[in-house]
Amino acid sequence: MAAIGLTLQPEREYCEALEPLFLEEADYFEVAPETTWVRYGEEAFLPNGFWRIFRDYGERTGKPFVAHGVGLSLGTFADDEARLRRWLEAIAMSHAEFRFLWYTDHLGATFLDGRAVTIPVPLPMTEVAAAAVRDRLASLQRIVPDVGFENSAFYFLLGKPLDEPGFFERILSRPRTHLLLDLHNLFTNAVNLGFEPEAYLERLDLAKVIEIHVSGGSASEPEWLPSRRVMRLDSHDAPVPEEVWALLERTAPRCPNLRGATLERMEGTVGEVDVPVLREEMRRLRRLVG
Amino acid sequence: MDGIEAHRRFERLLADVLASRDPSAPLEKAKADPELPAALKEAIAGADPEGVALTALLVAKLRFERLIRGSSRVGEWFDRDPRGFTEAFRRYHADVAPTTSEPRKEARFFEGWLAARGVDPGGS
Repeated sequence: MAAIGLTLQPEREYCEALEPLFLEEADYFEVAPETTWVRYGEEAFLPNGFWRIFRDYGERTGKPFVAHGVGLSLGTFADDEARLRRWLEAIAMSHAEFRFLWYTDHLGATFLDGRAVTIPVPLPMTEVAAAAVRDRLASLQRIVPDVGFENSAFYFLLGKPLDEPGFFERILSRPRTHLLLDLHNLFTNAVNLGFEPEAYLERLDLAKVIEIHVSGGSASEPEWLPSRRVMRLDSHDAPVPEEVWALLERTAPRCPNLRGATLERMEGTVGEVDVPVLREEMRRLRRLVG
Repeated sequence: MDGIEAHRRFERLLADVLASRDPSAPLEKAKADPELPAALKEAIAGADPEGVALTALLVAKLRFERLIRGSSRVGEWFDRDPRGFTEAFRRYHADVAPTTSEPRKEARFFEGWLAARGVDPGGS
């Protein structure tokens, strides 16, 4: 039996619309810590307004937080020491306030050779890359003992999709390192890259899964690519598709160390009409996993 | 070239691809790089060019969005003149490497780039 979580997003309209769900449906809150920071000039990061809003939800409800970032950049090979140090200091500041149960980021690199690509970019599935990610997770583990990464949505890969589970296993070799299994990312990659999600799951060490994500997405616009090819996007802007619910139903019982299942939704995509839909999604999540 | 140095080179080539408005030429350059070891050559050779192009587009889209969030003056320019702003952003993205994920800092860089060209985002 796992706890049920909902993402807190840095937007007032999102928080106001979903506050009843934060209070009544969620067992924990998931936060991207960097959305609660601000930096003036070259100084260290400081708490921003959402830090206080999110902290207040915790204080009012007594519910715990888990962290799920995107900016640590687990797979950067270039010299990134100054940025990494600043980032880890801010994570420590956040953890001192929010006492995260666990901290995950996305597998991939969001900083490449000093350039902020900000979307996780795939890594070559080499031993050097596995070691680089292991090292960053070890740095993170000095702040939050339980750490891990999410299987990211990628629109291209630097290897074969069904080799990813083996790559994950080489990274997650140390104690208290975990996998956040994002089923919408798996579904998105399966659609775009052309493989069977079940074949992928059969290769995955499901005992490493600490948390599952479900969410929805939409399609890219035909005019984005010269061929007019449409790809599925991990945009968190729509209801969870039935294919993802089916994956959840089949997979969650096979994850013996699962501690949480989180519904993700992007800021800017929630209106009044979405609130009952999201409430029902939280309840369906609880019926399947809770 | 040892393992980590080769991976750094690979990362630099991939950054050139994904920060580009047209990633096809830098992708071909990366695929043909004579310094990369076989495993990394094989990795980049297998990358779907359309998936790479979509990723480069999303890199630019996210930069565009954080720029608008980073400064009310910049956001107002976009509201007032989306076409003019978008064209300025295209040139900025081509001229200036994306070095920050922070909206305020991105906006400062953009405003500095505009100032160097004598453009006032409040009066454009």
